[in-house]
Amino acid sequence: AQAQQVTFRSSDTHPADYPTVQAVEFMSEILKKETDGRLSIQVFHSGQLGEERDTVQQTQFGVIDMLRVNLALLNNIAPITRVPGLPFLFRSEEHMYKVMDGEIGQEIMKALEPHGLVGLAYYDSGTRNFYNSRRPVRTLEDMKGLKIRVQQSDLFIDTMRALGANPTPMPFGEVYSGLQTGVIDGAENNWPSYHSTRHFEVSKYYSLSGHTMAPEILVMSKRSWDKLSAEDQELVRKAAQESVAKMRELWKEREAQSREAVIAAGAEIHEVDMDAFMKAVEPVYAKHVTDPQMQDMVERIRAVQ
Amino acid sequence: MKSLLHFLTRLLDVVSRLALWIGATGLFLMTAAVAWQVWGRFVLNDTPSWTEPVSLFLMLWFILLVAAVGVRERFHLGLDLFRDIVPEPVRVAMDLFSFVIVGVFGGTMAYYGMDLVRGTWAATIPVLNIPEGTSYLALVFSGVLIVLFSIERVLVLLVERRAQAGAEALAQAHADAALKLSQQTK
Amino acid sequence: MELTVLFGTFAVLLVLGVPIAFVLAISSLATILYMGLPPLIVFQRMSSGMNAFALMAIPFFIYAGELMLRGAIAEKLVRLAAAMIGHLRGGLGLVNVTASTMFGGVSGSAVADASAVGGLMIPQMKKRGYDVDYSVNVTVTSGIIALMIPPSHNLIIYSISAGGMISIADLFTAGILPGLLLAVMLMVAAYWVARKRGYPAEAFPGWAMLGRIFVAAVPGLLLIAIIVGGVRSGIFTATESSMIAVVYALLITLLVYRSLSWSDFVIATTGAAKTTAMVLLVIGSAASFGWLLALLQVPTAMVELMQSVSDNPLIIFLLINLLLLVLGCFMDMSPLIIITTPIFLPVITYFGMDPVHFGIVLILNLGIGLATPPVGSLLFVGCAVGKIPIMQAVRTIWPFYLACIVTLLLVTYIPEISLFLPRVLG
Ligand code: NA
Ligand code: NA
Repeated sequence: AQAQQVTFRSSDTHPADYPTVQAVEFMSEILKKETDGRLSIQVFHSGQLGEERDTVQQTQFGVIDMLRVNLALLNNIAPITRVPGLPFLFRSEEHMYKVMDGEIGQEIMKALEPHGLVGLAYYDSGTRNFYNSRRPVRTLEDMKGLKIRVQQSDLFIDTMRALGANPTPMPFGEVYSGLQTGVIDGAENNWPSYHSTRHFEVSKYYSLSGHTMAPEILVMSKRSWDKLSAEDQELVRKAAQESVAKMRELWKEREAQSREAVIAAGAEIHEVDMDAFMKAVEPVYAKHVTDPQMQDMVERIRAVQ
Repeated sequence: MKSLLHFLTRLLDVVSRLALWIGATGLFLMTAAVAWQVWGRFVLNDTPSWTEPVSLFLMLWFILLVAAVGVRERFHLGLDLFRDIVPEPVRVAMDLFSFVIVGVFGGTMAYYGMDLVRGTWAATIPVLNIPEGTSYLALVFSGVLIVLFSIERVLVLLVERRAQAGAEALAQAHADAALKLSQQTK
Repeated sequence: MELTVLFGTFAVLLVLGVPIAFVLAISSLATILYMGLPPLIVFQRMSSGMNAFALMAIPFFIYAGELMLRGAIAEKLVRLAAAMIGHLRGGLGLVNVTASTMFGGVSGSAVADASAVGGLMIPQMKKRGYDVDYSVNVTVTSGIIALMIPPSHNLIIYSISAGGMISIADLFTAGILPGLLLAVMLMVAAYWVARKRGYPAEAFPGWAMLGRIFVAAVPGLLLIAIIVGGVRSGIFTATESSMIAVVYALLITLLVYRSLSWSDFVIATTGAAKTTAMVLLVIGSAASFGWLLALLQVPTAMVELMQSVSDNPLIIFLLINLLLLVLGCFMDMSPLIIITTPIFLPVITYFGMDPVHFGIVLILNLGIGLATPPVGSLLFVGCAVGKIPIMQAVRTIWPFYLACIVTLLLVTYIPEISLFLPRVLG
């Protein structure tokens, strides 16, 4: 039974050349090398197996073995996963790395296990910023009344409202034409997505709000995990950890390329009044961070230097 | 036997009409929800966030309920090519097989739908904050209805030993509708 | 072996006359059981397959069509069109194509287009002596135009599947000429068949009568103006415009024409619910079938096979088209775009094809797939609205398929048809 070949099915909604997909491919190479090809991973990229929310369920039920998903998609399963997505929580990417790579990151992964998911690694999702088609946004005053597209999530909606904008949930596929015709004024995303969605063509004012840094997470189905021997579990965990450095390297490259490309295409970049923005979202913390465990985690994250 | 079947048919008449009406109401409410969404965003400048998940929720429920009614009214499209050219007894046998397998599928849908409900009950639908399992509950209801309607159709086929060809049945249904329409316009 | 189970069950059940929605779902279930995967995945794929926001345009346009039909808006519009070009032989076939092109400028969904125009036109054409199969054929194939004329959410899906390196604005403008070309080709086919079958040419009613017919049709015409204007000026999205059509149809029939009774309303609403349930159940089941094909890597295997055949670009493009046409017979559009784009894009750029051009070829090709059996949601909608069996429609559809295929070949081998407008405007 030891020599039995296992190919894990892994899902990702991003296209084949995206850093998260590449990182899991890289992880597969490591596993193959370590086990003489006994363990490997087949990545179903570009959402071939379904949208993120569907693939979360598929992973829970053990239909697929591994999944790369944004932490935000797990919010409705394990409330503690909301914490890293809280607005303006991390001071910098380095701060975020330190927290997620440390014991707080481990704690969040533990919280997923009762729901059938075993956390393997955190990947980057970069820093999300606002962009809009109306005007440069530098102050809270500039945000007033802008219809900003947000994902379907109470946290995002409340954050946007606290900043004075008019949060507008809209399916992703309609955002481009929505920006073009003016149904919405803006949206928010990281550099690579601002570029790859071509939203810069129809919405050129990009503000460096950096309002959230919720990372991506690579999880394994508990059902698949439990079928592995303790040694294999260790191998998988180690390979996942090794893929993190690779992912971050690819991500940095990608971010720089996208940034260059959109600026060359005419996007305008603006700094925002960070202190005012951070102050404005305090009511969001009051509303969403009610549970003592979450409050405690927020404080510990802020204390990490 | 016949009077028992008669009773079952009358009972399921009520059930299927109820399912259809609930479905139609769902469609109407969906229209209202999306209308409110546009009104809120464009006129009140305050976009309601509940309208999208509510309309999706309504859509799933009404499709699955009315799809079950479709098993009884036989409005789901299939490849009727062979069904229409074989002799009547073969057609009855084909229909029996079809209703049995659809009925078994309905049972499977109800059973595994319940698994999905249980598996997702702890998770919530974003913004609405009701269990995700409430959407999948539609699979269970629809599956049970499909089982009931299939049993009824099988019994009717066994008793009557007669099955209309698909084209014939559709033409009949269309003639009925046209008659209704012409009576109204008068 | 998994594929034998999948396609074997599919074929047997299909031939035995089991409804297609159940054929797709049951063959997926059988394969899942054979593979030892949890069966509940079939039902999860089914429900999420029929539960996407973009699909909402389908029930809304079907509903609006039913209301316009019951409330006599459709009749007034068709009477106008008939008065204008009814004196051409088979004029209503041409009107049908024109209407599809106009609706296509509003909706990005071929199925929504076909349900709107079909719900409007098919009963009226039937009334005026056109065979139902002809009306269904015209409606089904001209639904493809909606995918080409902007807006088109499928082109957005393509751009995203291609890694976002292709301008959506370019894709949108690139679709206009191929869309209009397809409209012209379909009109030629419609005219040819109409002449052969000897469909009526109606007498010209005279200018005074035409004026009166026009005034009566104004509220219906305004619907198109309101939808186009509303989308273009950013009041609502393309999906929401389908809801506007429902609200507008309700208001007009209740307040202006006063032609909608309570029982009309009930019949329209329950009728729309039935048609929607039928169409979306198939789309949901096709989602679980498509999920299995992706899991079993069927598209990838087929492409590898094709690449080993030739290195001549003209032949490769032809092969890609053939392959997409075959896949399109069995699967729905958006999963196919998502799966095949990353695979084909490197191949076609290697052979010198512009990605914008390829996007248009891809959408047109998969659009044709929506109109072909055994799995074709356009065909299902057309047959449901026309209330005829699929085989009856398919038996006589070949002149329209021919028009589509000729358009596809022209668009494939003459890149300028797609690339001219984006170059001039961009
Ligand atoms: Na369109
Ligand atoms: Na097809």
